This record gives sequence, C-alpha cells and structure tokens, in this order.
Amino acid sequence: MLTDNSLFLFLVLLLGPRLYAQTDSIIALDEVLLSDARLGQFSSGIKIETLNDSVVHNNSSTLTDLLQYNSSIYIKENGYGMVSSVSFRGTNAQQTAVIWNGININSQFNGQTDFNTISTPNYDNISVRSGGGSVQYGSGAVGGSVHLNNTLLFQNHFDNRLRLDYGSFNTAHVNYGTSFGNEKLALNLNFDYRKSDNDYKYLGTDRRNENGAFENFNLGLDVGYFLSESNLMKFYQNTFVGDRDFSGTLTAPSNDNYKDLTSRSLLEWSNFNDKKVARLKFAHLYERYRYYANKNTDNYDFGESNNFIINYDYKYRLGKITVNGILDFNTVKAKGSSINTSNRNVLAGIFLMSHRVTDKIKYDISIRKELNSDYNTPLVYAVNGKYDITDGYTVNLNTSKNFRVPTFNDLYWVGAGAAGNEEVVPEASYQVELGQNLGFKSYKFNITGYAIWSDDLIQWQPDVSGIWTPVNINRTRQYGLELQADVDKQFGSHQLLWKNSYTYTRSIDLKTDYDLIYVPEHKFNSNLAYEYKKWGGTYQFLYNGPVYITTDNTEILSGYTVSNIGLFRNLHVNRIDFHVAFNVNNLFNANYQSVAYRPMPNRNFQIGVTTKF
Amino acid sequence: MKIKQLLILLLAASLLAVSCSKDDDDEINLPSGDFANGILVSNEGPFNNGSGTVTFISENLGSQEDAIYKKVNGEDLGNVVQSIGFNEDHAYIISNVSRTVTVVDRYTFEKITDISDGFENPRYFVAVNGKGYVTDWGDPNNDSDDYVAVIDLATNAVQSTISVNFGPERLLAKGNAIYVAHQGGYGQNDIISVINTDSNTVTATIQVGSVPNSLQLDDAGNLWVLSAGTPSYAGTESGGVLSMIDTSSNTVTAHLDFETSEHPNLLSVEGSILYYYLNGSVYEIDNSALTLPGHGILDGVNFYAMSVSKGKLYGTNAGDFASRGTLAVYDLNSKANIKTMTVGIVPGGVYFN
Repeated sequence: MLTDNSLFLFLVLLLGPRLYAQTDSIIALDEVLLSDARLGQFSSGIKIETLNDSVVHNNSSTLTDLLQYNSSIYIKENGYGMVSSVSFRGTNAQQTAVIWNGININSQFNGQTDFNTISTPNYDNISVRSGGGSVQYGSGAVGGSVHLNNTLLFQNHFDNRLRLDYGSFNTAHVNYGTSFGNEKLALNLNFDYRKSDNDYKYLGTDRRNENGAFENFNLGLDVGYFLSESNLMKFYQNTFVGDRDFSGTLTAPSNDNYKDLTSRSLLEWSNFNDKKVARLKFAHLYERYRYYANKNTDNYDFGESNNFIINYDYKYRLGKITVNGILDFNTVKAKGSSINTSNRNVLAGIFLMSHRVTDKIKYDISIRKELNSDYNTPLVYAVNGKYDITDGYTVNLNTSKNFRVPTFNDLYWVGAGAAGNEEVVPEASYQVELGQNLGFKSYKFNITGYAIWSDDLIQWQPDVSGIWTPVNINRTRQYGLELQADVDKQFGSHQLLWKNSYTYTRSIDLKTDYDLIYVPEHKFNSNLAYEYKKWGGTYQFLYNGPVYITTDNTEILSGYTVSNIGLFRNLHVNRIDFHVAFNVNNLFNANYQSVAYRPMPNRNFQIGVTTKF
Repeated sequence: MKIKQLLILLLAASLLAVSCSKDDDDEINLPSGDFANGILVSNEGPFNNGSGTVTFISENLGSQEDAIYKKVNGEDLGNVVQSIGFNEDHAYIISNVSRTVTVVDRYTFEKITDISDGFENPRYFVAVNGKGYVTDWGDPNNDSDDYVAVIDLATNAVQSTISVNFGPERLLAKGNAIYVAHQGGYGQNDIISVINTDSNTVTATIQVGSVPNSLQLDDAGNLWVLSAGTPSYAGTESGGVLSMIDTSSNTVTAHLDFETSEHPNLLSVEGSILYYYLNGSVYEIDNSALTLPGHGILDGVNFYAMSVSKGKLYGTNAGDFASRGTLAVYDLNSKANIKTMTVGIVPGGVYFN
C-alpha cells in the first residue's frame, strides 16, 4: 500500500505538469478511454459519486453490500444474497438504471437489476449518479443510475491481483485479476467466484436460513488497441452465472432455486482528434433465467432475451460550446414460459450541448426522442448547470424529464391468472434538484435537495374478472434531502478516511396520500478507515429507519442498525504485496430484517488475503 | 384497592375459563369460547412475506377482534391463509405457501397441532366420517401430480393421498361422497371429481364449464357448480356456465350459459336461492329459474370472497392486495349495506361460527 502511494506520488510529480497543461488531445484521449463518456461530459451540476478501485476491492464483492454502506441508495434483500432491490431517492427498483460501460442493462423482463447478480471486483470503478438520466441512459434512469466501468491502462505494465476470502457459513470467495499493457495495447482479465451455504441463524428462533445457499461465477475481459494515434478499438465482455436457492420466510419454507446467466459484449471504435470524437458501438446483451418452484424437480419457468444495439455518437467542440449527437438502434427479442416470442425495436435520437459560459459557469442542455415499435415514448430533456461561486464552493441546479418503459412482462405476460397489457404506456417523471458542494483540502460537504413527480406509473392489479394486469394508474411524489460529509486526512504515517451520508426521503402515493412501502424516511451510513504504517482498521455503520410494509401504512417493519468492523495489515514479502484482513460483520449481532419475515445474518466472520504481483 | 379487586376478578375469571375448558368434554354441542357465535374472516396476508390472520366479528357485528390466532397462541399463523374447514368443534386452517394445516379449537382458537407433512400446495378442506380431505395442486408446473390428501382426524396426520385430475380446488361433501371442482391450478380444467370416501377412490368425473371455481348444494340436494369460463388471455375465450348436477346419477341435468366475456365466480346459496358475483355486481337466481337474471341485486361492489347466511350477504374487498381489506354486510331483503368493517390483508374467506 505504502509503495503504491509512493508510486502514485512519483507519477503525479512526474506527469503532473503535463497533465495540468491539458492539451486538447489529451482530454480527447481521456475521454475515449472511458466508454461511459457522458459520466464526465454533459453532466455539469449532476451529483456523481465514484467508488474507486480501492473501495470496490476492499469491500464485499456484491453490489448490494457495496452500495448500501457506501452510497445514499436504500437496498432491501429477500434474505442475504437473495433478490435485492433498490430504492433511489424513494423511487422503485425499476426506476434505477444500471449502466455497464455506458449501456443500460436492466432486465427486459422486470425492468430492474438484481444487485446481487453483479460481481463488483470485476469493475475498476463504480459510480452512483443521482437524479434523472433518461436522456443519456434511457429507460429507468429516474431516481438515479449506477455505473459499472472498466478502464484500460495504456502503459507498460503487467499486474496481477489475487484475493481469497473465507468466512462463516462456509462462504468462500476467489478473485483473480490480471492487467497487461503497453502504449498500444491494454488488456484486463478478471475472474470471480463466490459461494456460500448461507445457513445463518435466525436470531431469536431455533431455526436457520435453510434454503439460502448460493454460488456465482463472473468472467470479465476488456481489451483496447490503438489502430493509430486517432483510432482506438475496444472490446468488453462480461459473463455472470448465478445459482441460488431462494430462502423461505419465517412463515413459509422454501425449496425454490433460481439460475441466471447474463452475457454482455461491447465492441467500440473511436476516431478522434482535438476537436471531435466519433464512436461506433455494437453491443449484445443476453439474459436468461430459470426459476424452479421445487428444486427437486426438473420443472422450471424461464425467460430469455437477446438485445442488439448499434450506436453512433459524434461529438464536436466549437470553442466554449460542445455539441453531441447520438443515434441508437436497439432491437430486443424475448421469450419465456409465460411470454410468447416477442420483439421490440427502438430508434433513439439524442442531442446534447454543453456550454462553458465562463470558467465558473457551465451548463448543459439535452433532449432525447425515441421511436418505438410498441408504444409512444415521450420526448425527454435535461437542463443542468453548475456555478463555482468561490474556490471550493459550487452550486448545482438541474431539472429533467425522464421515463420508464413497460417491460416485456408488462406487455406480453400470459398465464397463472395474469395477463400483460399492450395498452400500457411509459411512465413519465419530472424532477428538479438543487445541490451545494463545499470542499476544503481534507473535508468535503454536500447538501442536495430534490423533488420528483411521476405520472402514469405502471401497477399490476386485478381487472373486473380477477385477472391481474398492469395499468398506468399511479402517481407519486418524492422529495428529500441528502447530506454528505467526508474527511480525507493524512498526517505523518496516519491516514484517515471518514465518509458519512444521511438521507431524508419521503415518497408519497398521490392517490391515497400514504407513504410508499419500503422507503425509509431516514437512512444514515458511515465508513471509517484508519491506517497507520502497515496496520489499519475499518468501521462500517448503517442505519435504515422503519419502513411501512402495507400501502395503508398500518404495518411497519422496524428500523435497524448494523455495524461491521475490520482489521488489516499490509505486508511486503519478496517484492510481493500482501493485504491481510479480518472482518466481523454484524458486530453487535443485531436481529434485523430488511424485508419483513426474512431475517438477515447473525454476527459472522471473514478472513481474506489479497496479493498483488 | 380497586386494582386488587380487579386482579382478584381477573384471577377468578381465568380459573373459570380453565374449569370451563375442562368441562368441555362433558357438554353437548354448546359452543363456548371467545369466538363462538360470530363470523370468521380468513385473511390471506401479504403474498411474499408475512402471515395471514383470522378476524372474528360477533354475530350482531358489534365487536371485532383482529389476528385472533396470534392473540391466543402468540405465534404467526402461516403464509397465505387460503381457507378454513370445520369438523365438530375443530377448525382446520390451510396456509398455502407454508404448506401447513393448523388445527385449532374453532371457538377458542387455541392451537391443537400443525399438520405439515404431506402437503405441497394445499387449498381447501372438508371432513367426512372422521377423515379430512384436502385438495392439493402439487407442483403447479406439473399437471399430473395433483391429489387429495386424506387426514386421519383422530391422529391429525395425513394417512393417504388420492391421485386426481389437474387443479383440484374447492370441494364439498354430500353423504359419503366428496365433489371436487377442478379449477385447473394456474391453467384451466373443466371437471368435477366424485370421491367415494369408503374406498377413497375417484368413482366418477363430471364435465362442467371451463374453470369451475365454486360449488354449492341447494335445499333440494342439487349440486350447483359455477364455472368462470376460459379467460381471454388463454386462447379462445369462453363464457361462464352455471351447471346443476343430480347427485344420484352424477350427471348435469341443467346448465345456464353466460356471454363469452362474462366470467362469474363466488357462488353462494341459501335455501333455494343462488347468489354469484360478476363484474362488480351480485346476482340472485332461483334454483328453478330457466334463464340468467338480467340485472344484479347489488352493483358497484368489488368482491374477493362472498358468503350468504341468515338473510345477510357478506362480501370482502381486497383493495390493492397490499393493505387491509374490508368486509361489507348487506341485508338481502332491503339490499342495504348494514355495515362495512376493515379486516386483514386480502380477506379471502368468510365463515360462520
């Protein structure tokens, strides 16, 4: 770790003057290296928190664990490791988009991403972008979006990282990553495997989590190659295979099993110079699930979809104004046990403009229009800007219209007393947000307030003859406040990193005036990491306030606090770095449920070794 | 001083209660207990996670107690309380997802035992000659593993199973015979199975309309079966059928057909009058009628379960299925709404104690 730091310092000293000189072609270069370019561009005044490499790799390997302790997103799980669904700014799981290297990967079937099916060690950084992003990221980017990014390093290097963890409930984790590169070629290969009996105690009972075992496997490959100084080819591939028994509840046993497979490929060609960046992308997303209501039989329900995307993106800079046009064609074919083979074609046109008025004031305007074979999608827009009032004090202001399209289940489901409805239209949502950032050398503060109004929300309900069917019936309003305070301080051999986040969230059903279920009014998390020479310790704290679990707000699931503690030691043996960590999760053995009647794990232990060579 | 008196009173009352229950064996058919003489509403509860409940309402609708099983026994009943069956002074509560039949004293709701071995997807219960019969879908993805479980009511254990046609749902007993309506699980079926309880074998099947969802006996001993018809999403839509079956020959002797888009359910009977629910209205029909009624007796309602007793109609509304539902009581003479009460989540059954 220390050697890494000194290496970094060395690089900054050496490259710093050149980096800060910032010639335009270097900006272009930085930009093309990241496939999700608009995370940095056309995002003035958007709140984006990036969890870098070290945060991603020093945390547990699921996106659920990572984000509930390190972001303002509220996540609930049907028992540890089971289906996990998020609520971002009081919205539902279908209103949070998950973006893989710039591409929206929410399921075609249920419109959401299960955060327990993302292996975080495969990614170099993970960003949480708050607020609407439908113009740039399409359907579902309403409450916010989560961005999984791989980066490529074009310099001479050959790095390997191996991490092994073992812990309670026979939980084992292996992660191996290798990165190789020179000035023309960069390559990352990442392998992740995790399994657990997950048979934790249900505290306060004599029972265990009997049907909760899981096993998953992830393989990632990223390759970049400079065809010439102004032409870069990149290829990304990620395959995830999951096999989970689904836990029962306190009142119902389970012998369910769920197997899923996702495979994502992206080929991208960028042609760039100091004024323009042109990109052509081809992507293929595949998802398949099999749900066994009884794992001892061969009977299962399934869904399978193929999604092909062609995207052309041209960006041009004219002095203080940058313009960007994107044409995106997306064709989806899906089928399942309750869905006859069906197709959807979408052509989207996007136009973005960014204007640097002065060095202190910058704003962006963007619009998106889709032509869709199934339904009419609204024209959506975003206007966002920021003003650097003084050095270290910034004010952000933005407003946008966003949407969420009906899923294949919403449109085409047939069977089991339910039927899709081809008449449903996309949900529409408007929002406004005001944020302030205060940054000093070692301290950072952010306060952001927002409000979201959503209309035509899709809800499944029984029709006159008792058949469950989706209709655009609901209206909601969310509003809230987010506070963040971070400390990053180094003194002598001591290093302190302390991140705190508090959110106040209200999410109201405008038809009934009741609060939406499973949205805590208060959430607080705190992460403390302290390092002294070769030793270090971490403390994670999470508080999720009580949530309503019935729509008439008559029943409440209690709030809970969970604390995790860790101790680590860095070693340097024979020119190899070792990082040995010991963690105690749920230190105080709290008996808690994030979803009613589904207990979460008792106190548990984990030991891990990471080596870099 | 007052508190002391109250304590003594309470103590005396509890002693009395204990002696009462001891005496129960000697008394003859006089229902006693907190929950005698009233209405029981079974509430399925939230589908995914949670517990169903039973609500008790006194016969005069004057008092109500929620979640009585939990109140008496200090534990949750089970997930998705599908139905309740009765035999003598016992009630048999079926928790579908929990795969359990909970046996309680029907008047005190004190738990006697759980029967949890032998069920996969239990639905409804009926008792005949000391045996309990429970319909079970088996694996809902498998059309050929459906059965009726036979419970020995003396030992409260499943003693055998009777393999039956796809999708057995509601059932009733007449004499030594049991009539099982095969609604067809998540799909559709269109038969009634007749089980002889002496041999525990299926002795006949009777074809009725598609998706038979409810069945009743009228005062003349005729079996009435209401079928919803095939829903629009399942291919060729067909309308509901009301069939009358002569139980001596086990044949359909009359049937009345609904329009193709009409899918009725919730057949109830009192005396010779049948009641059913269709598209927001309740209809009434005499058992000798030759045509279906043209208009309803109650309109603008939304019923998830319905029962008729002593001149009153009881209908539940499950609302959005994620909050507490209601029970509305109507006078069948005046058709007036006597009272509407908030009950538990997804009220799916109304029974009379």
